[in-house]
Amino acid sequence: MSKKDDQVSGATQQRSNADPLGTNSEIARKLKQYYDELVADDVPDRFADLLKQLEQAEPADAARKKD
Amino acid sequence: MAVSGAFKSDLLAAIPSLRAFAVSLSQNADKADDLVQETLVKAWDKHQSFQPGTNLKAWLFTILRNEFYSQMRKRGREVQDSDGIMTARLAVHPSQHGQLDLKDFRAALEKLPEDQREAIILIGASGFSYEEAAEICDCAIGTIKSRVSRARTRLQEILQVSGESDFGPDSIAAQVMGSSAA
Repeated sequence: MSKKDDQVSGATQQRSNADPLGTNSEIARKLKQYYDELVADDVPDRFADLLKQLEQAEPADAARKKD
Repeated sequence: MAVSGAFKSDLLAAIPSLRAFAVSLSQNADKADDLVQETLVKAWDKHQSFQPGTNLKAWLFTILRNEFYSQMRKRGREVQDSDGIMTARLAVHPSQHGQLDLKDFRAALEKLPEDQREAIILIGASGFSYEEAAEICDCAIGTIKSRVSRARTRLQEILQVSGESDFGPDSIAAQVMGSSAA
């Protein structure tokens, strides 16, 4: 009937057994598209900077060894 | 105990997913990035409570979600779509050839209650199992399932799409065929 079924993976098929979302529904596909677009968005530098700051605020091992 | 370099790089790697989840929850890009920032700081502070080998992404999502709801409680419930722009843009047309505009979808998603929206995002987009989603949302698996189901139904109503259009007869055709046998 539809060639689209060919692309459904085994895991997806298994999950769809008790799947209230309906893995192949239009809604499910749009949801994926919506989310994937968000995930693909460029991450602002502020987050890498933040982690760097957090790291520097740590009592570093090197500093402790000096004592 | 110092935070390990591995933990730090795992945090970095999780940021795109965290941002996507934060935007989905808050429906606001600025608020979302503040949420992610708060989440990273909290995760850093309590990294010792993370059990290595367990799902870091689920752990981080839990922190982000708790942060989101505690901020909402603090601010008092804001009207989510404060400027009404997204809603105004939502003009629902019956979908043609099963094609659904992503902009319409976004606006429809925004109309869902948070609990339904987060459930359908965690299950349908973030790739969590029902067990993991239940743990993240601190509720029963059955609750997640019913939220996902209600979210899907609501989205279908708003967007006027049928869930199984790709697969065989639609519900009306099925009724007609069923009744002919009676």
